[in-house]
Formats: sequence, C-alpha cells, structure tokens
Amino acid sequence: MNESIQRQIFHYLLDKKIENFIGVPDSTLKYFIDEGLKNKKIIITTREEEAIGIGVGMTLSNSKSLIFMQNAGFANSLSTITSLVQLYEIPLIFLIGWRGYLINDAPEHQKIGKIQPELLKIIGLKSRVITENNWKQGCDWALLENKKKKPCSLVIRRMFHD
Amino acid sequence: MIRKEAIEIISTYAKNNPIVSANGFISRDLFEIKDKESNFYMIGSMGLASSIGLGIALKNPKKTIFVFDGDGNILMNLGSLVTIGSLRPKNFVHIIFDNNIHESTGGQPTNISKINFETIANATNFKTFKITSKKELILTLKNLRKFSGPILLHILILPSQNTSKRITISSKEIRNRLITSLIK
Repeated sequence: MNESIQRQIFHYLLDKKIENFIGVPDSTLKYFIDEGLKNKKIIITTREEEAIGIGVGMTLSNSKSLIFMQNAGFANSLSTITSLVQLYEIPLIFLIGWRGYLINDAPEHQKIGKIQPELLKIIGLKSRVITENNWKQGCDWALLENKKKKPCSLVIRRMFHD
Repeated sequence: MIRKEAIEIISTYAKNNPIVSANGFISRDLFEIKDKESNFYMIGSMGLASSIGLGIALKNPKKTIFVFDGDGNILMNLGSLVTIGSLRPKNFVHIIFDNNIHESTGGQPTNISKINFETIANATNFKTFKITSKKELILTLKNLRKFSGPILLHILILPSQNTSKRITISSKEIRNRLITSLIK
C-alpha cells in the first residue's frame, strides 16, 4: 500500500476517535506508523502481546485503541487474543501487515503467510483485507465493529520485495 | 509472611484505586480477601497484568494503579518493565509477590532467586523496594506517597497450603465493574 494512503488511513482513524496506536513496527505498515509517530500517538512495545495488554487497559478506560503488528506477531498473540481480548470482549482494532502474501517472500514468512487467513478464521477474529481502493469501507467496517464493542482486524498485504 | 497476608495489607491500603491482579492464585486470593469493583482479575493471558495496568495508569492520572504480579508472571513479560520505565507513569505501583515458584501449577521453580531482580527494576527507572517482612511492608506503604512512580515492591513471600476459592464472577462482569469504577 502506498505512502499517501497509509498516512491518510492514520488520520481517518484518528479523526474517528481512535486515540491510541500501540504495537510492534512492520515494514508493510511503515508510513502508517511514521504518521502516528509524527503526531505523537504511538507507543512502541517490546512484544505484540504487551501492546494488546496496554490497549485493553486503555479501552477499559474509555479510550479507543488500535494494535498494529506484523502477522508473525499476530501468531505470537493467539493466546492473548483468546484468553484476554475475546474472553472479556474488549473492542480492539488490530492492524496486521501480511508478510508471506506473495509466495516468493523471504523464507521465514512463507508458512505463516500461507495460513494467515485460516488462522484469523479459526480463532474467530473478524477481518477485512484493505487495499488502496477499498480502505475507507474497510475502516468504516472496523469502526462499526468497534462501536458494537467487538474486536476486529484489518489486514494489509505486502505487495513488494526489498 | 504468606501472600494472603500481604494482599490483605496492600488491598486495604489501595482503597478504591484499581488493582489489576495476575492469573492463578494471586487473583483468587484477592477475590477471597477483598473483592471490589475496581479489581480487575486477569484470569488468562499470563504475564500481561502489568501491561493492562500501564494502559489504565496512562489514562487515569488521578488514580493510583496497583498491579498484583507474581515472579512467574513478570518473568514472562520482562519487556513490560522497559515500556513502563520508558513512559514513567507517576501513578503506577507494581507489586511482585515472589515465592520463587509457579505455585498455581504445582510449585515448580522460577529462576528469579538466581538473578538480581532489583537491579533490573532499578535499571528500568522503577523506584524499587525489596520487602521481606510484614513490618517492612507496612512501613514502606506508610512512606509510599513520598515517592513518584513507577514504584516496584518486590515482596518475598512464603509458599502456603491455604488455597483460595475460584473466582465466581464472569469475565464480562469483571470488565463491566471495572469500567464503572473508572468513571467514578
């Protein structure tokens, strides 16, 4: 996803009262995170699960939170999502960078990238893939889920190699 | 001192400030001794009590947030000390009940007694106290307001055969009670 759209997505969500952006950086989400840093709205954590914990505490305090991570970090977070986010029904929005979407991505991303959509389905976390064309509808959907007090996720595919 | 005694002293001191308690026997003890709507019993997600507490602390600067953690729990999320130490919330009090074992799973050892935990806590910007007796705990709490957070109390406790009952309220109820108490 291009730089300008990523920066727009950050401001779109900020304008819709998402107040906290917490997570572990991912190159697929580089410009989104950079825009958040410029606006001093980002907390970088040591692990993805820690970010989820902080987001839960903020959400319980009536302050809406988005958790960003790479899909490798999403795999790290499975137990936290089931035994914290879903158990207590905490409305977090996850933003996940999808490494291994392209089949010839780096070897460490291939397996997890292949099972990424299945993983989301199996644990029952609703998700939408957002692109340069449909990002607004995707964000509106996530904001509506958030309003209904449901956790959900937005996924951005990595479409390039470095 | 056993954990229940320490929990009773600190939860009384905390009054109606939020307490986020770690999974296992810590939450069960707190539930049995002093159940309050401002208690958040984290029944799963081992390691994350301090992270949840940090989120609450950052958004509720007028309240003092207490985290009831265990040695097994904090060792599972040591990075949390880095994040808390970098943000330096003044209203954050992190209690480690250290029995040197994973008591809830049958008493297997953690490795905390083999390292210098205070050095780690000090290095991550916590005002740190090591406490080995009830007398020390009471004295430390008496003087606690003189210090600015993040504060960490590393309390050495004895293992106990006295197991508390399970938490009988649902996760949704735990959540809703806390949300209500934070608005007050």
